[in-house]
Formats: sequence, C-alpha cells, structure tokens
Amino acid sequence: MKNHSNFYTGILAIILLTFASCQKVIDLKLNSVTGKLVIEGNVTNVNELQVVKLSQNVPFTNTNVYPPVSGATVTINDQAGNTWHLVEGPAGSYTTTTSFAGVAGVTYSLTVLTGNQTYTASSTMPALVTLDSLSSSSSQYSDKKNTRQVSVYFKDPAGVPNQYRFVMYVNGVQVRDVFTFNDEFSDGKNVNDVLNETDIDIYAGDAVKVEMQCVDEAIYTYWTTLKDMGTDSGGAVAPSNPPSNLTNGAYGYFSAHTTQNKTFTVK
Amino acid sequence: MPVLSLYAQKHYSISGTLKDAATGETLIGATVRIKELPQYGAASNSYGFYSLTATEGDYQVECTYIGYQTTITQVSLHKDQTLNISLQPKNDLKEVVIYSNKPNNDQVSSPQMGVEKLNMAQINSVPVVLGEKDILKTVTLLPGVKAAGEGNTGFYVRGGTSDQNLILLDEATVYNASHLLGFFSTFNSDAIKDVTIFKGGMPAEYGGRLSSVLDIKMNDGNSKDYTVQGGIGLISSRLKVEGPIFDDKGSFMISTRRTNFDAFLKTSSDSTLKGSTLYFYDLNAKANYHFDDKNVIYLSGYFGKDVLGLKNTFGTNWGNTTGTIRFNHIFSSKLFSNTALIYSNYSYAIEDLAIDNNFTATSKIEDVNFKEDFQYSMNEKHTIKFGLNILHHNILPGEISAPQNSSFNDLAVEKREGFEDAAYVSDEWKATNKFTLVYGLRISDFMLLGPGTFKTYDAAGDVLTAVPYGAGSLVKNYFNLEPRLSASFLLDDENSIKASYNRNTQNIHLLTNSTGSTPADVYVMSSNNIKPEIADQLSTGWFKNFSDNIYEFSAEVYYKLLQNQIDYKDGAQLVANPDVESLLTYGSGRAYGVELFLKKKYGRFNGWVGYTLSRTEDKFAAINEDKYFPATQDRTHDLSVVGIYKLTKRWTLSSTFIYSSGNAVSFPTGKYNIGGLTTFSYSERNGYREPANNRLDIGATLEGKEHKKYHSSWTFGIYNVYGHWDPYAITFQDNKNVPNTTETQLTSIFPRPIPSVTWNFKF
Repeated sequence: MKNHSNFYTGILAIILLTFASCQKVIDLKLNSVTGKLVIEGNVTNVNELQVVKLSQNVPFTNTNVYPPVSGATVTINDQAGNTWHLVEGPAGSYTTTTSFAGVAGVTYSLTVLTGNQTYTASSTMPALVTLDSLSSSSSQYSDKKNTRQVSVYFKDPAGVPNQYRFVMYVNGVQVRDVFTFNDEFSDGKNVNDVLNETDIDIYAGDAVKVEMQCVDEAIYTYWTTLKDMGTDSGGAVAPSNPPSNLTNGAYGYFSAHTTQNKTFTVK
Repeated sequence: MPVLSLYAQKHYSISGTLKDAATGETLIGATVRIKELPQYGAASNSYGFYSLTATEGDYQVECTYIGYQTTITQVSLHKDQTLNISLQPKNDLKEVVIYSNKPNNDQVSSPQMGVEKLNMAQINSVPVVLGEKDILKTVTLLPGVKAAGEGNTGFYVRGGTSDQNLILLDEATVYNASHLLGFFSTFNSDAIKDVTIFKGGMPAEYGGRLSSVLDIKMNDGNSKDYTVQGGIGLISSRLKVEGPIFDDKGSFMISTRRTNFDAFLKTSSDSTLKGSTLYFYDLNAKANYHFDDKNVIYLSGYFGKDVLGLKNTFGTNWGNTTGTIRFNHIFSSKLFSNTALIYSNYSYAIEDLAIDNNFTATSKIEDVNFKEDFQYSMNEKHTIKFGLNILHHNILPGEISAPQNSSFNDLAVEKREGFEDAAYVSDEWKATNKFTLVYGLRISDFMLLGPGTFKTYDAAGDVLTAVPYGAGSLVKNYFNLEPRLSASFLLDDENSIKASYNRNTQNIHLLTNSTGSTPADVYVMSSNNIKPEIADQLSTGWFKNFSDNIYEFSAEVYYKLLQNQIDYKDGAQLVANPDVESLLTYGSGRAYGVELFLKKKYGRFNGWVGYTLSRTEDKFAAINEDKYFPATQDRTHDLSVVGIYKLTKRWTLSSTFIYSSGNAVSFPTGKYNIGGLTTFSYSERNGYREPANNRLDIGATLEGKEHKKYHSSWTFGIYNVYGHWDPYAITFQDNKNVPNTTETQLTSIFPRPIPSVTWNFKF
C-alpha cells in the first residue's frame, strides 16, 4: 500500500521520540560527477506555450544554482504528425512558438539535440480526473501543537489504471515533498488522500494551493521513486537515480499530463 | 584391515543422558570420554543423549561441561550399558569460580568448525541497551556475525543477508525475530537453555538457508524443585515458573515477559506520545514427560505479539507463534531417534483508522513440518546421522479489507503453497587418532504447488505467460544436492587444522526494500521466475588452545560464492502486490574474510576478543555496469571485545566494546532541480561508507545477600558510555537556515549514555 511507508515513518517517529534520538549536521566528503544534462519537459492539457527546461547538475557543496544549457534544438511531436519547434527564451528555457493543449490518449515525443547527442522520450497524456475538493484536519504525526494536514478528494474512474501526482504550496511556497498516488488499491473509489509532509508546518488561516496532475505510469514510477528516497526514515531503499523515460542517460523526465489547481484557506 | 582387527575383540557401548544435578535440565554438547582411550569422546546431543563404544574392559568415564564439575565414573564394560550422569553446577553464584581440572580441548579436537556456542551465564552478564538482555545482540559480538545496526535485530553472517539465517526455537522456524521494529529480539533469555550458531561447515541435518543456523533451545523446566523467578527492568517485566510434574516423571516451564514502559506514554505531555500504543509481550512454555528411560515426549511453544498504534490514525500488530511436539526414542544404546511435528506462523496486520481511509491489511506465513532424525553410534570410529524432513509452507501474501466508504478496495493476493523436502545422511569418521572426517549429503527438493495462476515475466517486468493450476498440482520443482564436508587434523593436543566445504540452498526469500526490521515482511518461494539461492562455502582454520586449555584461539578463513541473489527494480512496491515477482532482478555475490577469535572461558576474568576482516560483494546486470560492488552488509573491519570480571562474591563487572566499519551506502555525487525540488544524482551503488560504529558499554551485577528462601540481584548498565553517534540514517536535504544550499544530516538513536537498572529475583 502506498500508505505503508507513512505508517512506518509514523511508528519510527514514535519510537525515536520515545528513545529521544538525535540529529546533527555532518560534513561528508562527496565526489562530484557533474555537468550532466537535466531535462524537464512538460506537455499539459492547458492551451498554453509548452515549456522544456535544460540544465546541468552541480556538486553537492555548491549553492542550488544550476547552469542552463543553451543552444539546443528542441522539438515536440505527436502521433498525428504535428511538430512543434521550441525556441529558447531565458537561457535554458525552451517554449513552443504557438499555444496548444495536450489531448488525452495522445502520445507526445520530445527530441533534444545538444552537444552532438540526441535525447528522446515519449509520454501519453491520461484522461482528466477531476479534483473535487481539499480539506484540512489535525496533523497525524507532527509533534507540534495545532498543526494541520491537507487532504485531496477525487473520484477515481473504475476499470482503468490511474496515476496521480500532487504539488502543494503553502502561502505561495512550494512544499519540498513529492506526493503521488495510484489506484492499485483504490480503483473506482472516492479517494481521500492525505498529503503527508514535514517540510512546512501548516496552521489554520494558511492559504494552500494544490495542483493535481494525472500522469502516465512511467512518470508515476519516476516521482514515486523520488518520494521513497526522500523518506527520512532509516535504512530506506538504496537510493539511485529515478528511472527516467529519457534516452542516453539524461536526468529528468518528459511528461504529458493533465493539470488543475484548487486553492483554499486552512480551517 | 584395521576395521577387521578391531572387531576381533568384543565391543560394547555405554549410553545415557547427561543432566544438571540441581535442576534436572538435560545438558547439550557436554563431553563424555573414556580416560584410558581419550581419542574416543562423544558429545551429548540436543536432548542430552550420548553414546560411546569401546572394547571390553574396565574404564574411567569422564564427563566434562563448562560451568560444571567434572565427574568420573568407574565402568566395567562387559555388556552394553546405560549410564546417566548428573553434573554438579560449579558456577555457583556464591562462589568465585576457580578452575581446578584442566578443561577439555573440544574446540581443537572436534571436526566441526564455524560454530559458536554461547554460554547463557555470559549472555546474562553482557551489558545491553536499556538492560534488556538479548541473545541476538550477544550473538552479534561473535566474529563473522555482524549486527545490522541499532534498532535492528537483523544480523549478517559471513556476508549473508538477514533472511539467509535460519533461526530455530526448539526446531521451529522463527521468521521475524524482532520486537518493536528490531530494538529487542523475540527471545526471552530466561526461557533459553542453549544457543548455538553455525556459520560454516554446516552439518547435513540443517538446511534451507544459505548463511547460518541459529539453533536456540528452550529450558525443559526444573524437574527437581518448583522455582519462580523474574525481574523488573526499564523495558519489561519477566516471570518464569517451573517445576516437576507427574510424580517427577516430567517437568514444565512457563516464562513470560511484557513491556512496562508503555505506562509512561500515557503520562506524557506530548500529544503524539500520549495517543500512541506501543507494547509487546511473549510467552514460552514447555513440558516433558518421561514414559521410561527410553521414551520421552516434549511439548513446547512460543507466542509473541507486538502492538503499535496511534489513536484514530493507525494500528499495527505482528507476532510469531510456534509449537513443537517431539518424541525421543532410544532403540538401543547405539541408536537414538527424534520424531518432531513442528508448527510455525508469522503474521501481521496493519489498520488505517482514519475516517474515509480505513482498511485492514493482513499477511501470514505458516509452516507445518515433520522431522525424523536418527543418530547411530556405530562404533568407535563412526557416528552416523540420517533423517528426513517434510516441510509445508502456506503463504498468504496480502489481504486488504475495507468498508464501503473507504478509499480502498478489498483485495486478496492469491495464496501460495509449497513443500520443502529433504533427506540427509552424514558420517563422522575418526579415521585415525589425529584425523577426523565428517562427510555427508543433504538432498533437498522444493515443490511449488497450485492452486493459483502462475505467471512468468520478461526482463521489463511484463507478463509473458499466465497459467492456471489446480489444487495440489505441481507448478515447479527444484532438486538440489548439497554436499557437506569437514575435516580436522590434530597436530598435537593443543593445535589442529580444519577445513570444510558446504553447499546450501534456499527456497524461501524475504523481500524487503528497507534495511530496517519492519513487520511487513513479504515472503516468496522459489517459482518459475525465482530460482533457488545457492551458496558454496569453503573454509579452513587453525585452532589452538593454550595455558591448559583455558585460552582458546582460532583463525578461520572463508570464501563463499552465491548464486541467484535477489534485488529490486526502482520504485518496487512489494506489499500486497500480485505481480511482485515482476519487480525482481537476479544476480550473484561473493564473500570472503578472515576471523580471529581469542577466548578465555574460565576464571574470574573471562571474555573474548573477536576480529573479522571481510568483504562482501554483489553483482547485478543492471547495477554498476555488471561489476562487483560492496553489498550493504559489507563491513571491512569488525571488532568486539567482551570482558567479564568477578570482582567479589557479590559484584560482577562487565564491559563490551565494538568497532565496525560503516555500511556500504550510496551517497549523492551531485544535485539538480526537478519539479521545483532539489534532487540528488548518484553515480554508483554503495560507493561510500557510513561513518564507523563504535561503542563502549559497561555493566555491573550485584548479587543479593545469601538467603535460604530467596535470591535477588541488581543489574546496572550504561550503554554507549562515551556517547558516540552511531549512524542510523544519513540524509541529504535543503538547508533550512541558509537558503539555496544543501546539508547532510546524521540521525543517531542513542547518541548519549543510556543508563539502565534491572531487579531480578528467584525463590
């Protein structure tokens, strides 16, 4: 169950609290294997300029500033033979010259040519599932008083596999956690999924925005792998690069997904 | 022919049972020897039975056992005869132990290598975290056995993973040996008589796991007197009752333990702690009945449960249940048999209690095992063991039940059934006075049976075939021959060289993508996709005793090759997944190392130093370009020092020190931004080491003043005396104080000295 990992995080939290475990910041000597291409490409169901961003990874000890990759040739195709040539705006950010909305069931392909190397990926846009509402309740695992947690409500369509990714913002700041859900155990149900996070304490009165994406299976695995690695319980899976749908070892992903937002004030 | 000339004379045998004179407990592994023919010794088996054969004559039969006074019995051997011997315990709490007789040189002369037997008295003296004495934690202080880490009862033997250890409690498999997610083990040492671990040179009677056998035997129960003993510690309270039954023809023992610290949770001001449930309990019970000298029946059982939960949020519980019925029959002074029917069950349940999200997930593995073992002490030169084993597995991988309004559907993953059958024979052949050879063969056969739909998958994890099978029909059969060989050559009374080779196979595999001990164990059997794991181990060693056998030293070298090892694809969701086998990848492994062990078993000061230098590597096609990489359980250095000192009649001091290289782990070699989140990049599997573990623990036991009716003692301990931060987890994250930078965080469970106190009583 997707909730298992939350359980053990919860149980561990109790045990660690009981035994009063401690954390401290340490210095480790880490090697650097950097300068590798990172591609983040999205096609959404919203009629807009679609964006592909190219950058590089940097050493762990650097600040979180990532060099853009300029001068690449970036194109998106669909299976009907449409081709969009993307042009570079701000350095490393490539956008289509015309707006278009991705269509459910259509497979989109991305081709990036840079540094004499071609990178490709394809992704099929799933059908839209409506995000019904958001709600808040008392936080389950937090050790702070009066903190709240946010749940999403939606009706999963029966008979088809569905995968979801959520992005949450509290007072305009993105929560640094990955949220995914699939219907392996919930096919056709009214789903109430708690977006468990420990990054930002949420209190009554906070403005929370949640973006819900319906993603394809490969992209679900990509985000879920990232999520599992982020779980700060001891002895998690040996971390590795999440399985990307891009060829030639580029980091990142290319995702055709639906997107919708809901905003509410936490009570 | 020497064999013929041997039989020109008349030969007779002496056999019997060895017991503790004070409690009537049978003694396992005690040595019986004819003083005049010292090369022909025998050790008592798991039921205290021994058998010796010699030519007609008058002899002195000597029986020795650690912690007991040596006894010598005059025997006129002119016919087969029974000689039951009771030994007086020497390690009387009121006396300072000073050894008068020269101890035997078993460790040098026995052909067995790669084996360690733990002394229960030592286990009780070794300081442990929060005063909860623990067999598994003590086992990890032996060379070649490494602790998986704090908060984990898992252990790694000679490079094997935790699930490659066979843990037996009165012959029943214990699948999950941890309480409280691994902080404590399921074994209540009050109830335990004998702990033996086989790391190599595996005897043919054991099989089914690659790395080790941890063979734990419960106390039979005092057959002389009724006693009650118990204790109160920080973590748990214990109580044991034992005594004779059926007019002294039998005895019983009941030992139980429950946590008491959860009472403190209720008083906590922290709302999370206050609303949480956290406890475990366990019960060991055993009884035996002697029909006569030749027929004994034993009943034993274990039941344990852990319950954890958070009010209105979730609950989880898990536990093992085992039951064993055994019947010992002595056919003759040369032939002993044990027939056993064994039940073993491990199950867990997880409940989500949140409104609109509630469900219960359950899983279970259940074994029924029939075993028949014979021990035939043929003559002076040959002791033959043979037997068979029919083991039925029933696995319910996962079942989810949820009410209508829940976010979750009901789900039941098909159950799986299989048989592990084995037959074995081995002969311990004392070829000459100096050379002993144990050669044997274990034949193992695994059958995966219907009903159910059985799938095969391609490398990408997509279904290739899905074939339905009816109940009881054979899906897959794996047949394996496992040769077992060990030899010893005695250089002189104090020195020997030993060597062994053994092949082991394993058909039941624990899937886990976490190194912690979570209760959500997923077991799978060998199948169309999963082949039996195979290990071949070669080891050799030099064994030396000195100062009249008071000191024992050994140096063992091993090399192990592993086939059909299992790893997981990225993002593998293992729990309640009907297609879990599609998420597995297969590879190989190798492990090699040197183990040095210096032990002082006797005297006011006793203890040991163990050091292991080793390497354990895995090789998987999809990882690190199919090159060997350090396995998670690889530890280059592993050092344990254990010292116990009897200061006065009442005070005993003890101390342990451990140092071990950190786990092999993957650390990031870069970072990038994806989806607005700092994301780390990795360039190789397990290319880094966590910081080394090291820790000093001290303990002291104060025996109460002598009293006719009762006895009491206090145990004090300090765990992690100098407050070292042993790594539990190392995480990489955005630095919350300095924007746009990242930091490395170390989590340690007990990074400061933890004192403990326990009060024990007996009357």
